Amino acid sequence: MPPDNGPYLIAAYIVAGVIYLGYAVKLISEARRR
Amino acid sequence: MTADPAQAVIRRGIVLTVLALIGVAVVMVMALKFTPVEANQGLAQKIFYIHVPTATVALWIAVPATGLASMLYLWLHDPRLDRFAAASAEVAAVFCLVVLTTGPIWGKPIWGTWWTWDGRLTLTLFLFFLLLGYHTLRGSVRDPLERGRFSAVLGIMGMALVPFIHLSVYLWRGLHPKPVVLKPSAPSLPWEMLRTLLTGFGVFILLYVGFVTLRYGLQLAQDRKEEADAA
Amino acid sequence: MGRAIRLVLVLAAKDLRVEFRTRTSLLSAAVFAALVLIVFNFARDPTAVATIDLAPSVLWVTVAFASVVAMNRAFTTERENAAFDGLLLAPVSREVLYLGKYLASLVFVLLVEAITLPLFVLFFNVSLGHALPGLVATMLLATAGFVAVGTVFSAMVVKTRFAELMLPVLLLPFMVPPLIYAVRTSAPLFQGRPLSEVLAGLRFLALYDVAFITLSVLLFSAVVDE
Repeated sequence: MPPDNGPYLIAAYIVAGVIYLGYAVKLISEARRR
Repeated sequence: MTADPAQAVIRRGIVLTVLALIGVAVVMVMALKFTPVEANQGLAQKIFYIHVPTATVALWIAVPATGLASMLYLWLHDPRLDRFAAASAEVAAVFCLVVLTTGPIWGKPIWGTWWTWDGRLTLTLFLFFLLLGYHTLRGSVRDPLERGRFSAVLGIMGMALVPFIHLSVYLWRGLHPKPVVLKPSAPSLPWEMLRTLLTGFGVFILLYVGFVTLRYGLQLAQDRKEEADAA
Repeated sequence: MGRAIRLVLVLAAKDLRVEFRTRTSLLSAAVFAALVLIVFNFARDPTAVATIDLAPSVLWVTVAFASVVAMNRAFTTERENAAFDGLLLAPVSREVLYLGKYLASLVFVLLVEAITLPLFVLFFNVSLGHALPGLVATMLLATAGFVAVGTVFSAMVVKTRFAELMLPVLLLPFMVPPLIYAVRTSAPLFQGRPLSEVLAGLRFLALYDVAFITLSVLLFSAVVDE
């Protein structure tokens, strides 16, 4: 029976998503400003 | 009104980045719904499908590209090389940050500890600090020519440092827990897992290209503006 | 070739003479080293970890911090007196210029270390005895490596606004491999193991030195020339 560590999976996906999205938003909003 | 080359690059960068971000979402869905759960590690193992491609792109594409572009800039003095090196370094830092956050989140349930000084994670930490230093240096030098030269010198020194970090860190394992990581090259990886991993590689390469294109375009626009102001 | 060597020595001597005329930087670095050692002493629990096990780390962390403090001064004289341009106009090759600076910084940092080591022995009550030659060799080899890189970086950051902060930020990643091997080499020596057992570590340090001194000599002109 595999261990129950689902929350870690979700946390990691959210963290990764936030970092990538955040960076994309930062760049794109800078592009919009020009 | 003549077409602004910087705007064209920026547009292309935005398109690629958005496509790649959709791709990242696809990979996450694939990993969650269409990939089997690993028996020993459980659900948390699926962090692997984001963590490993990100790390691979960062260490094997982004960082070498930055180093190579820096070296070539010193030799050829083409400002496009410096601009590319700066863009690649910034994106590499973002990817390293993802590795350094998803790594411990994966490590905690599997190894029981948030951080281990294992070779790969430590190397990524080093590269992250080198990239931060690179960014800080660029931020504090006004003159673009000087900035390009200094960045190139730091880039070359940094590249030379990597093998020494390997030697010091990998040979110093001591009592670290052995990570239970599935090697992508192992023939025992089942197809359902392999296809998610390979999709991940493709997506994150695209994301790197998108981010770098966008960042490059922004830098190009900035440089042109500074040139126009100075004239 | 002989002329080049003599030039290097002249340049290094000039730097060191300027340094020792005021004596403040050597004093500050020495005081800093002493303070770090004192902090380490009060920060540890002698009943929990044996001094001898902690000794290498304490010594090398102190050396690392004191070295960065010491290296920050490498180009400050030039910056404060705008003498750098004059130096560049002199008919001296960039390599010779670099080696002169490097030698001066190296001597200075080694002096700081020479003061730190006896202080360390005093505060931590360690007996060095047979370990001394190996320890000195380790200090020489490790220091030679990161001072080489530090000299190049000093030249880069001297014109930036936060030079004293920039140098450690850039240099610390480059100090870690020599530090790791310095600790790994000193630990057995402190335990009384013979020098022959730590030769691999010394070889690594020498390799690091060769690589980075060479790179630094080659890259210095890219930093100072237009």
